[in-house]
Parts: sequence; C-alpha cells; structure tokens
Amino acid sequence: MSGAVLYHGEPNGPSLSVLAALAESGLDIECRPIDLLAGERHTISGSTDSVAMDFAVEGEGPVLVANGEAMSEAVFLAQYFDEAAGGCGLQPNDPYKRWQMLMWCRQATERLSPAVAYLGIFATSQRRLAELDAGTFDTLLASIASEDLRARWQDLRDDRVDAAKVADSKAKVAQFAERVENQLADGRAWLMGDFSIADLETFAWLRPMRSLEADAFAGKGRCSAWMDRVEARPSVQAALARATTDHPERAFAPGPEINRWG
Amino acid sequence: MADVTLYHWEPNANSGKPMLALAEKGVAFDSHYIDMLKFDQHQPEYLAVNPQGTIPAMTHSGPWGERVLTESTAIMEYVDEAFDGPSLMPADPQDRWRVRWWMKFMDQWLGPSFSMIGWCTFVGPSLAHKSEEEREAMIARIPLPERRAAWRKAMFAEFSESELAESSRRIAKGVALLEEELGKREYVASNQYSLADINIFNSTYMLPVGNADLCSPELTPNIWRWLKTVYRRPAVQETWAMGSGRFTDRFNAIMGDFV
Repeated sequence: MSGAVLYHGEPNGPSLSVLAALAESGLDIECRPIDLLAGERHTISGSTDSVAMDFAVEGEGPVLVANGEAMSEAVFLAQYFDEAAGGCGLQPNDPYKRWQMLMWCRQATERLSPAVAYLGIFATSQRRLAELDAGTFDTLLASIASEDLRARWQDLRDDRVDAAKVADSKAKVAQFAERVENQLADGRAWLMGDFSIADLETFAWLRPMRSLEADAFAGKGRCSAWMDRVEARPSVQAALARATTDHPERAFAPGPEINRWG
Repeated sequence: MADVTLYHWEPNANSGKPMLALAEKGVAFDSHYIDMLKFDQHQPEYLAVNPQGTIPAMTHSGPWGERVLTESTAIMEYVDEAFDGPSLMPADPQDRWRVRWWMKFMDQWLGPSFSMIGWCTFVGPSLAHKSEEEREAMIARIPLPERRAAWRKAMFAEFSESELAESSRRIAKGVALLEEELGKREYVASNQYSLADINIFNSTYMLPVGNADLCSPELTPNIWRWLKTVYRRPAVQETWAMGSGRFTDRFNAIMGDFV
C-alpha cells in the first residue's frame, strides 16, 4: 500500500472500527489523526477524486486516500482491507454467512450508527461548536460539499435538538443492545459465530453508549461480556492507543442522517 | 421445480435487482409475482416467507434446507457469490470498494428520494379510490412501524413541500454525480458491468422520460451512453419481458426510442 494514507478521528465510532480493521489486516498503511470536529476531513489534500469523501452517507468518518482517490464508509473500508490483504478473516467465505454478516452490518449502519451519532454529538460536541466565532464556523461550513451534511453541522451549532429523534435514538440503542444479547444466546463468542466486521462495527458504535446510555446495557450480561471481549483484542487495543485525548468515547462529529424515507 | 424462488413485484427498482442478477448469472428461478398495490406483501402467505413484509425475497433450497434471503442489494451479492456464471463484481479490491460505495449511495441517499417522489405521484394516487376505512385496514396489516408510517404518508398524501423539495434537490445532485462518475469509467464504479450498474440502472432507467430536464444526450452524455449499453443487454430485456403494466410500458417506450 505504498503512499496510501488513512485519515482518522479519535478512535470512536467509524474511526475506531476502521483503525481496528486495519490492524487486523496487517496492511502497512500510514495513519494520520485529524480533528473531525474542526472540519479537517473536508480539507484533506492528496486526492484528485473526492466524491466518496464529500458525499459519504456515513458523515464524518475516516477517509483512506489510495491511488489519488478518497475512500469512505467504515464497513466497506474494512472489506477493502480484508480483500487487499488476501483475506484476513474479517469476512466469512461462505456466501450465506456473508449475506448474514452484511445484513447485520446494514442494520448497524442504518439503525444504530445514526442513533448513536445523534445522541453523541449533542451530548459531547455542541458547546465546542457553539463557541466558535462566526467567521471560523462559516469557513468550516463552506468547506463541506454536501448540503445535507452542512445542515446537520448547523443544527448542532444552533443546538436544534429534535426531541422525537432523541427518543427514537435512545430506543434504537437499547434495541440494538438487546439484539446483540439475543444473538449471543446460544453461547457463541462472536456475533456471526466467527469473528468478523460485524463485531467491530457494532462494538465501535455501542462503546460510547456505555456511559451515555448506561440503562440500555442494564441486565444484558452477554452483551457486556462480548464488548469486553472485543475491546481486549490486540487490534482494538492498538486502535484505542491512537487516542490523543483521555476520552475518545466522547469524540463525535455529525454522523449519518436518521432515515428520512423508505 | 427450481432451487430458487423469487418473490417480486415489477422489475422496477428493488424487485428488479435480484431478477437482473439471476438473469445475468443464468440461474433459473420460480417467479412469484407479489402485487404491491394489492398489498400481497402483507398477506399471511407472504409473511410466512418474509415476516417483515418487504419485497423482494428469495428462497434457495439445497442440502442445507431452505434459506430465506431479503434486502435486494444483499440478495444480489449472495446471488453473485453462490452461483456460477459471469462475475458481477470486479476483481480489484479498490473497484470492489467503489461498487459497494455506489450501491450504498443509491440505497440510502439517492434511492429514497426517487422513492419518495414515486410514492407521492404514483403509489399514493393508485390507492386513492379506496375508502378511508379500507386504507386504514391495509395499513394496520403492515408489520414494520417504519413501513406503516411510509404507507400512511403515501395513502393520505401527507408529504410536506419541504421534504419533496429536498428529494428533488437530491435527485438533481445525484444525477450530476452519476454523470461525473460515468465520465471516469465505462460503467459505474469500474470498467466492467457489475452489481452497481444493475442497482443504479434500476432506479435511473426512467430518467429520459421522468426527468428529461436533468437527463438528455446534451445534458448527460455519459449517462445516456451508459443507459443505452445497459438497455441492450439480453438479461435486461429478458427481465423486463417478465413485467406487466405501466412500468413495462414505460420501459418499452424508452427502449423504442433508444435501440
């Protein structure tokens, strides 16, 4: 991977899952930390093709620049690492098991991650954004190509919280913890049986909820034990060691939007 | 009896995705037509197959018993991997990443905007002749709360002007991005025909008539070139021959102008 660079935020959410997937793959790719809440993702240099950076459904996630192209979306970057490494065990080979894993990851990216990002940004990032002077914020906003992502940044700065979305997001986090609890009911160690991207993706989004939404995990012993198991993996430890703050689980920037239709 | 059974509506949008993938791979399947506008997808017979009540769904029988697969893009990925025939994914890892990226962009960002406009202008009005009680009873049978909310909006014309405007904005932006993409490579995301082409064609084939203000030989020469290439594929024509009614009429009308 000569010349490829992974630009990532604090190890939380998509930056955590992608950093851990990279460590699992063993690929030698340079990692550069950026401050997502300063909008640094939108001024990354070195790519001549930025559509996937500008219009990522995931919002402010990590960006891999390879062969001049900016690549995004945590699950697909993990699949890319796995395939570029010639298969490092992050995806099952069997087509049906792979379908099951992709379906799980889709539930995580469509239901869990928008909910966590919504709760997370207002709990941890609103004040810092509100304190920016108007000129700095306008410059930041002007660097964002996607109009709907820009609107999510503006809502955060203005503290425009939608009570219905908060309630819906809290419910979705609790439902997902329940889903994990049920999935592990047969005594399996990992969500899909064998360890996979599904574990990393789900763990990375649930981890910051352990403190912000502690009730969602109450009485869910299997889910909690599984989270400890994922966290103990050397790849996850290596990803967490890249933190530049004491509390990476409180590092949030606007994420995916909550499903608007369909 | 084939090992594969597909439960689908018209070859349009999501239902057509696995139909096209199966046709490209040369996989025979039993076809079960589910009339979405008659709410076949919420009848007990279908809920026994897919309790979520969403279409399409596919069953695949073998030594393992019977597998039920749902979600159109994920079904296509399964079809590509589980059966022989030409590969519908490129071999290069970065190309494969790009195929997935474009499918997600369509499934979660651009597609819902096409869908909202379609439900507002076609699906809702198609059911407007039914009494309020009848429509309420149809809604009550829907298993997923999100789908209940969506059908209610469509049946009672509850779309706001601002959300429709946002969908129109996204469609214009998405078409522009697709035009740019098809200027870089022969097909969407790579230089070979792939799942991304099937996915995106199935929501954009109608642009020449539905959005002539956005898509024309002059405005979007790359999309035009690509649409023609995909239209001409035997698997595409074979699949659309299975359709009926308004969607196939529209498809054939566009085909007539193109080929």
